Amino acid sequence: MTHTKRMTVALMSAAILTAAGSAAVAQDGANIFVIGGKPDDPFWSIVKRGAEDAGKVVEAQGGSVTWLGPQNYDNLGVDAAELIRQAIDQGAEAIVAPDWVPEAMDPAFQAVKDAGIPFIVYNAGGIEAADRLGAMNYVGAVDYKAGLAGGDYLAKAGSKSGVCINSLPGAANIEAYCQGFVDGMTQGGGTAEVLPLPATAEGNVTAVAQAIKAYLLQHPEVDSVFTTANLDAVGTVQGIAQAGKADSVGVCGVNFDEAILSQIQSGAQACAIDQQGYQQGFYAVSILNGYVNYGLSIPTREILTGPGVVDATNIEATMAGAQQGTR
Amino acid sequence: MTDSRGAFGRVARRPETGSFLGLIITYAFFALFGGQVFITAPGWSSWLNAAAEVGIVALPVGLLMIAGLLDISVGAVLPASSLTVAIISGHYDLPLPLGIAGGLAIGLAVGWINGLLVTRTTIPSLIITIGTMFGVMGLTLGLTILIAGSTGVFIVPDVVTKSIFGSAINNMFQVVIFWWAGFVAAVFFLLHLSPWGNWVFALGGDRDSARNAGIPTDRVTIQLYMLSGFAAAFVGVTQVITFGSAQVAAGSSFIFNSIMCVVIGGVLLTGGAGSVVGIVLGTITFAIVNQGIFFTRLDPNIGSIIIGALLLIAVLTNDGFRKLALSASTKKA
Repeated sequence: MTHTKRMTVALMSAAILTAAGSAAVAQDGANIFVIGGKPDDPFWSIVKRGAEDAGKVVEAQGGSVTWLGPQNYDNLGVDAAELIRQAIDQGAEAIVAPDWVPEAMDPAFQAVKDAGIPFIVYNAGGIEAADRLGAMNYVGAVDYKAGLAGGDYLAKAGSKSGVCINSLPGAANIEAYCQGFVDGMTQGGGTAEVLPLPATAEGNVTAVAQAIKAYLLQHPEVDSVFTTANLDAVGTVQGIAQAGKADSVGVCGVNFDEAILSQIQSGAQACAIDQQGYQQGFYAVSILNGYVNYGLSIPTREILTGPGVVDATNIEATMAGAQQGTR
Repeated sequence: MTDSRGAFGRVARRPETGSFLGLIITYAFFALFGGQVFITAPGWSSWLNAAAEVGIVALPVGLLMIAGLLDISVGAVLPASSLTVAIISGHYDLPLPLGIAGGLAIGLAVGWINGLLVTRTTIPSLIITIGTMFGVMGLTLGLTILIAGSTGVFIVPDVVTKSIFGSAINNMFQVVIFWWAGFVAAVFFLLHLSPWGNWVFALGGDRDSARNAGIPTDRVTIQLYMLSGFAAAFVGVTQVITFGSAQVAAGSSFIFNSIMCVVIGGVLLTGGAGSVVGIVLGTITFAIVNQGIFFTRLDPNIGSIIIGALLLIAVLTNDGFRKLALSASTKKA
């Protein structure tokens, strides 16, 4: 840290102290800053909606919720770290942020800590990041547990042998989903394998469908498929139908979109595992608001917003939520 | 060296022979290690479905390569076309024929721009089409989010359109296989039977001499790019109608896959030589290798290694036969 930067930080901390002091006198509520993805990102617009809905209570108590998102994802870690510093500069009394790229963002979180601003890590980083950085809590899902829930669901539905489609071999979150699925199936008394797809299939839904068809024909014992990307789930259902196994092979996948919801509605797909972004925005903001205003706390460490299971039992409510931008 | 070698010599020197042998060896390999299912109808449908889509794109990409040009933008045109169909007929609920026309028009338009840029500048076609690829990708992403508010757009096609573009015969062989056959016939006529085909070869041989000989090189170049844009857009149309879902992040694998099919099919990377039969054989070989992996009991983690190795072997075989063919013709000259 250069001399100028250190000066700036010192000045900023002073400014925030003054702001906090005057705030206490004026009896106004918490000014909460939420760092997230692009507001037009389909997933992040749902998280933002949750934060805004919690913000209605914040505003009723005299505070505010401000959303800060990057213009693009080209330089995510650095941009998000910059947004955290911006939140400090703008007088945040509480901050919610994901730990997407620890190497780039941890120093910014440290600055939040040094400024004495309470903060919550959400969406990415896990409770490990919250502990390491000294955050109040972690609100979000764990990739591994999403896979585990999928394996558990399919095993309970009677599946004995499953396969996890990894269309992006090497991506840490996909590996975690698949590992979770394999463990979930194994704990349920079945077995499972991971099928990595070659790079020649990347972004090609037909290639995914044909790969699954071929795999199912060659492995007649396999009776369930777990997918980790939206388009993969659509391709998988076609591949299963082309293998003539629509009635005997169950499908479950991470995340959902309109096409997947209609697959669940029609019965072609058994379930989708959701990390429930709305809950992430809603609870992170609510917890900080209660803390800043009234010293309230949530003693539970690691607030899990996922895995939430979407299946035939709650498909109608989920579709209604999707219509209204909360799912 | 004269006709003393007879029929065998003539066949061995045909440029497609190497591709054909490569195909036979590849098929035999997977018939041996892929088990019973691979050689039955479900196995054939598996690689034919995969071959048809990349095959439709590989044909005009092959023509371009014969003419000494490349088209990288096909990887961006495909999702652009899918999303255009889904936005017009899914998001706005307008008639599906209009959506399909819109999707195909996008392909023709991008091809026209590619052709114009290649003929009006001295920038290599590789760079130009990488540029248009990123341009189209960015526009697709930006406009899709602006219009639909999401990176995926969905559509439920009517029964008739679905049966024309997105059905599967016997619930196995996708109808796109027949469209591929149609494209093969059309492109075969264009390249090998019509005078236009000679112009394409001439373009790849020597562009300046071709122009001096009175060939409308600019017009042919623009037509070639419009054809490849159209073909990529067509595959985009069939995909969105088959799956009912169009995603921004699709299509990129078609860039290298189509080039690989063409090269395995014996088209010279430097232009001037190649054939439609070769491109078709190369496409089938490529699809068999890709699909065959899943039929074997090999560890799928090493699948890409086998794909890479078999492709190299196929190209080496081609090169061997090309040298044979060239040495024969050089001596004759």
